[in-house]
Amino acid sequence: MNLTPSQWAALLPLIIPALGACLIPLMALDKDQATAKWIRAAMYGTALLAVGASFWYLTNLWNTGGQPSFFQLRMDRLAQFTGIFVLVAAALAILQSWDHFHQEGWVKGETLSLLLFSVTGMILFASTTHFVALFLGLELFSIPLYAMVGTVRARTESSEGGMKYFLTGAVASSCFLMGGVLIYGMSGSLDLSAAAFTIKAQGLALDPLVLVGAALLLVGFLFKVSAAPFHQWTPDAYEASPHPVAGFMSVATKGVALIALLRVFPGSFGPLGAVGVKMQAVVAVLAMVTLVLGNLTALVQSNVKRMLAYSSISHAGYLLLGLVAGTPAAYHGMLFYLVIYLAMNMGAFGLLTAFGLVGEKTTFDDLRGLGWKRPAMGVAGAIFMLSLAGIPPMGGFYGKYMIFRELVGTGHVGMAILGVLASLVSAYYYLRLLVALFLQAPSAEAERLASDRPAVHAPLAGATVLVCAVIVLAGGFLQTFLADGFARRALVDGLGLLR
Amino acid sequence: MTWLTSHPLSFLVFAPALLGFVILALPHALGRLSRMLGFMGALAFFALSLAWLLGHGGAVVTERAAWFTLVGLPVDYALTVDGLNLWLVLLTTFLVPLTMLGTWNSLKDRIGTFAALFLMLETGMLGALMAQDLFFFYLFWEAMLIPMYFMIGVWGGDERRYAANKFFLYTLGGSLLWLVALLYLANKAGGFNPTLMGQAASALPFGVQCWLFIAFAVAFAIKVPLFPLHTWLPDAHVQAPTAGSVILAGVLLKLGGYGFIRFAIPMFPQAAMHYAKPLALLSVIAIVYGALVAMVQRDIKKLVAYSSVSHMGFVMLGLASFTVIGTQGAMLQMLNHGVSTGALFLLVGMIYDRAHTRMIADFGGVVTKMPVFTTFFLIVTLSSIGLPLTNGFVGEFWILNGTFLSGFHWGRLYACLATSGVLLGAVYMLWMFKRVFWGPENKDEDSGTHHLHSDLNAREIAVLLPLVVLIVWMGVHPKTFVAASEAPVTALLQDAKAPAPRTFVLRPAVHEAPAHAQPAPEGHAEPAAHEVHR
Repeated sequence: MNLTPSQWAALLPLIIPALGACLIPLMALDKDQATAKWIRAAMYGTALLAVGASFWYLTNLWNTGGQPSFFQLRMDRLAQFTGIFVLVAAALAILQSWDHFHQEGWVKGETLSLLLFSVTGMILFASTTHFVALFLGLELFSIPLYAMVGTVRARTESSEGGMKYFLTGAVASSCFLMGGVLIYGMSGSLDLSAAAFTIKAQGLALDPLVLVGAALLLVGFLFKVSAAPFHQWTPDAYEASPHPVAGFMSVATKGVALIALLRVFPGSFGPLGAVGVKMQAVVAVLAMVTLVLGNLTALVQSNVKRMLAYSSISHAGYLLLGLVAGTPAAYHGMLFYLVIYLAMNMGAFGLLTAFGLVGEKTTFDDLRGLGWKRPAMGVAGAIFMLSLAGIPPMGGFYGKYMIFRELVGTGHVGMAILGVLASLVSAYYYLRLLVALFLQAPSAEAERLASDRPAVHAPLAGATVLVCAVIVLAGGFLQTFLADGFARRALVDGLGLLR
Repeated sequence: MTWLTSHPLSFLVFAPALLGFVILALPHALGRLSRMLGFMGALAFFALSLAWLLGHGGAVVTERAAWFTLVGLPVDYALTVDGLNLWLVLLTTFLVPLTMLGTWNSLKDRIGTFAALFLMLETGMLGALMAQDLFFFYLFWEAMLIPMYFMIGVWGGDERRYAANKFFLYTLGGSLLWLVALLYLANKAGGFNPTLMGQAASALPFGVQCWLFIAFAVAFAIKVPLFPLHTWLPDAHVQAPTAGSVILAGVLLKLGGYGFIRFAIPMFPQAAMHYAKPLALLSVIAIVYGALVAMVQRDIKKLVAYSSVSHMGFVMLGLASFTVIGTQGAMLQMLNHGVSTGALFLLVGMIYDRAHTRMIADFGGVVTKMPVFTTFFLIVTLSSIGLPLTNGFVGEFWILNGTFLSGFHWGRLYACLATSGVLLGAVYMLWMFKRVFWGPENKDEDSGTHHLHSDLNAREIAVLLPLVVLIVWMGVHPKTFVAASEAPVTALLQDAKAPAPRTFVLRPAVHEAPAHAQPAPEGHAEPAAHEVHR
């Protein structure tokens, strides 16, 4: 098969990480990676190289403005945005996992291979409207994630969480598949944009089967976004998985699912006005439920990872509010929010690694007094928490601001009020982390244990935390650069919105 | 240097935070150096603010530039110092170094970090006072919470975590709802410029205006704090370290009142007028209730905290009177309260540092141990009560005068009720003073009096003297401090179409009577006379 250069250009960002993923398991074929540190380092290096190369390629593509495509795989600006987003999250996760897996005493380079496959799937998922490719992407990024959740087999909770995630995820995937099948059955087209035109031309937009199909597709997306009532897997899976993997899942899965949702619902199904209106109503209700449930449940968590899991559920609620507003500016806000969310959540999970908390020892009590012991990490932690709570001048405030502004602008004042009340509630549990970091002295027991153990050494995780803190602050002070230079162009050139 | 001369306000606002970040980066071991650096910096900012702002003689100084446009709404970088905020800005820059000096040895650990947070707080306060774009204002308004949260939470008393969280969430709650109102209005106005937003608001149905005004008013009233939104204040004040209490009382509370006069009232004049009666009623309740609760407190600091509720009630009453003299009184009362209550908190801190208790019952006969301290405390107490020739008298008198004369039918009744607050103020302050300072010396081994070994040192006297000078100056010649705000206040009330104040004449004959018919406050008859002619 002969591919034109443009087709190669569209495929390369996917091929590079996939190639890396294939290479990594081969490296440790006849070596014992548990004893040979250099082989572990080589595996990590390869993974970083693959991510870096793909990132470099995509940023080049972004700068030249090219939007190549390979049949239904369209590497347009939105897909490039997603690619850069996912690759940055993956790079941060890889760096953090070096430290985290060493702390856990369970270093397996193959995890990175799974991560890279997942990255490939994510980029694919967000760059197409062809149903088969879409489903392929969904499974390609989900299945490695199921395995990654349970990767530290030494912990029993770990495989339990992985199993739970896998079973629920399989149900969601089958819903997604069924939805696609119904749409295909009604339209005879696998490409969702073409299907939408056919359905519209035949006047079937309000046919129950079309509605059920669209709803099932939506279920698949909402599961990955972890919106209520499809959120129950989130806390268990995050708690079970290694911190960097939890961070990566919370950021990349949510982000990619939302971007694909944008591409399919307002994008491809745009012509089907009636379907869009109905789905918007559903999303509105679910977003509110998500906000209430996520925030209230987060209040009572004693484990930081579970708190962050519920916080990530509630952030799904804010992001979905952007979909409810349904204006191009609101989508713009969502993408900006995602960029900041990437930094603050990867940072928050990275903090756990940087403090050297392993296993189940991730309660608020385990963090007591650490802010004063490690001032740079403490300040970064404060930045992440305040940003997650949406306090200016952090970047998180601007994300919420853009979404709420569009909500109010489109007349959803009541939902905006609910949203701000939810973020008031959220401030309380984010403050709890600050209370633990700065306002509480460590217990005598913890002091004694800490003096017995060697000092925590996590330079890579620490560096990623600082990078994330800088991004969050940049989002607060240079918001136009990120919002207009990056998020906006993705929408303008990618979806043809916001002209 | 050229940048400095063209951007004095930007420098004043952001330099403290920059210095704060530098101090934060200094190693822990250099705490004493950090503290000195912070103090010298704050002193320099005060000197610069005096030189730059008073040099203009109160004329308007403005810096305005387009900052960014997100989701279709332009945000301006706009800072202004004019008659309305000139003295509040100076009060802020004045209180920061003074408080640092006054609490020099109060904190034992992490003194460098505290100084850094204090400077960042100064940036937040100055920014909020100067910002002329509501989005910009909102940023400072919220950002201000962060340093204060840590100041209370890290260096506070035993219940500090509860108090810090309550302070943070209470204030955040009010301002988040206000943000929705702000977005709604910005959407109508196409930007965050207060003038444009005010115009857009006037085009809205009256019911909507009322809701928007309520959202603004609640956010500001929490900060004031107005009854019944005051419950965070006693906790925060009592738990905060002395420096935090001084700044909280001295500046942060003022921002609430300032928000009303700068934004809420000019932007929604009709709605503000509509709600003048409830606002005044709540103020009267705050005045009387705050005083009554203060009376039964056993902790001196808590007593001062509740007296703040009472005094800030006067500010709100003056604003709700919608008369020039009442509003001017409120402006002055804000400064008064900053100086007097700030001084009271400093004094309480000084005695606490020596005795390690603040309970009234632990003291008695302090005058025999600390005569100089008692003298200062007495002067500040009398100023807080509102003795003539001190600042408290002028502010409260103008406010009561304005309320009594206001065109609203409830004016006279509320003025009479509020006057009882002045009386109660004298009761709780003097009673506390009697129990703590007079009487026989408390001979108990564990008592606070027993632990008082030294009177004020030179540093502490140096801190208190400027405050006493100000107390007398503001009492004798208040014109210095209100001349700048007279024109903007008059214009504001004219634009708001406030009901004309009543005139009281001794004879039914109308011609030329009012000027001397009205009781003119000492040393400053102009606003009153002006008011009557309007």
